[in-house]
Amino acid sequence: MDHTEQEARRAWFRREILPLEAELRGYIRRLTHDPVAAEDLLHDTFARIIAAESWREVDSPAGFAIRTARNVVYDSLRRQKVVAIDYVADVGVFGLADDTADPETALVARDELKRLRAIVEALPTQQRRVFTLRKVYGLPPGEIAERLGLSVSTVEKHLVKAVRACADALARDDLPPPKRSPWAWRRQSEKR
Amino acid sequence: MATAERETVREAAASWAVRLSDPHLTDETRAAFEAWRAASPAHEAAFERERAVWDRFDRLRALRPAAPEPDPDLLAPRPVAQPAMRWAAAVVGAVALSGIGLWSVNASPAYATAVGERRLVVLEDGTRVELNTDSKIVVRYRAGKREVKLVRGEALFEVAPDAARPFVVAARDRRVEAGAAAFNVRVQPRAVQVIVARGQVEVADTTPFGAVEDEARLAAGVMGLYGEAGGVAQPVTGARIDQALAWRHGQIALNGQTLEAAVEEFNRYSKDRQLVVADPAIGGYRLGGYFRVDDMAGFVRALQTTFPVKATAEDKTIYLSAAG
Repeated sequence: MDHTEQEARRAWFRREILPLEAELRGYIRRLTHDPVAAEDLLHDTFARIIAAESWREVDSPAGFAIRTARNVVYDSLRRQKVVAIDYVADVGVFGLADDTADPETALVARDELKRLRAIVEALPTQQRRVFTLRKVYGLPPGEIAERLGLSVSTVEKHLVKAVRACADALARDDLPPPKRSPWAWRRQSEKR
Repeated sequence: MATAERETVREAAASWAVRLSDPHLTDETRAAFEAWRAASPAHEAAFERERAVWDRFDRLRALRPAAPEPDPDLLAPRPVAQPAMRWAAAVVGAVALSGIGLWSVNASPAYATAVGERRLVVLEDGTRVELNTDSKIVVRYRAGKREVKLVRGEALFEVAPDAARPFVVAARDRRVEAGAAAFNVRVQPRAVQVIVARGQVEVADTTPFGAVEDEARLAAGVMGLYGEAGGVAQPVTGARIDQALAWRHGQIALNGQTLEAAVEEFNRYSKDRQLVVADPAIGGYRLGGYFRVDDMAGFVRALQTTFPVKATAEDKTIYLSAAG
């Protein structure tokens, strides 16, 4: 495969697959009911999708992504020698189609800035300062290092930790509304 | 991919996203990145994800003020007054509720569920009790003590804080005492099971010569089992707790349990039909999956399509045995 072909495949992945992250996470969680395992399986699902040579023939990226996720989950269950006989969970496949046409997109976009800001505010102090200078002011790592009296590699480490924390925070927020009773204590206890 | 490995890959991917955005990027770094990305689809996909997050935060530029000097503390957490307000409201609520409570000082109200039923009870102090199938509690609140007896079945308690009156659940010969905690108590045929979801509880043996439990204080995330011979407690994962509490959503969670154990679970919720494992050869099959508590028929169907098992209905009993 030549370079442009590779880039076309990655662009497809960015455009069609990455926006499905929250739905895929929700789907895998409904199958496994284990948030940590779900992140592992989501990671594997993305790896399997981006490697798909036949991506041009995919009619429905959402359907393709869901099928891939299901295969990844079932393969993992087989490895663990636990036989999944859960047919109820497949209901989740139909839930996805409804989710894609989202009338609240505009509302979400308006709240995006507020939400990103809240995530940054919650970062540990040094990560937050470095990240602010990089993202709000667009300063390069070298200049941030000078201003804060740090080495460039320390600045990079803070940035990497900050991105990972931000990704995890977005993942938590992006969860489809949980089908829970009114008590929210479980999620609170996980945050501590 | 295992969790630790996944995190390593994601961190490496984030690191590349950070370094590739540096205007002083060198050709060597670029080449090292290409080699890393080409090494596996997991790398390639992880990089796309982390870079999407990295780019997403470019929106923060909209927050850049006109002042020329960059302020690293521009996004420092802002003090919020709200929590104090919430506390005030909660205290007012508690006072109002305890006023109502005075009317029923000598009463010991009981709450129960039928087989297959679930019920949420909010007690006078705001403590919430969720009762599972075929369960019963008797509430005895008095000065200095809040006591609830779990007569049978299973209940989840979310205790309203009250420093002056400890909250105690009596279940068979054990007492479970808690401050502000959320915990599940289940009376089983030969033991009492306690799972702590939040806060901590203390378990005491109330028999005349009851031993001091080895693991009497249970923290959040710990499951304890207490029988005649004493108690054992062990930490469990959040996922395991969710599974144990799946009943709150009307579900039975199976994660490697034997067919024998699964059948016992389904029978708890069913008043007109009971499952019987008629053939010990199949009792040891291990199952995974989520089912509705009221869908015994669906469970049996799924069982028959997955395992060499046949089901024979006779009157109100469904016998499970090896097929062929």
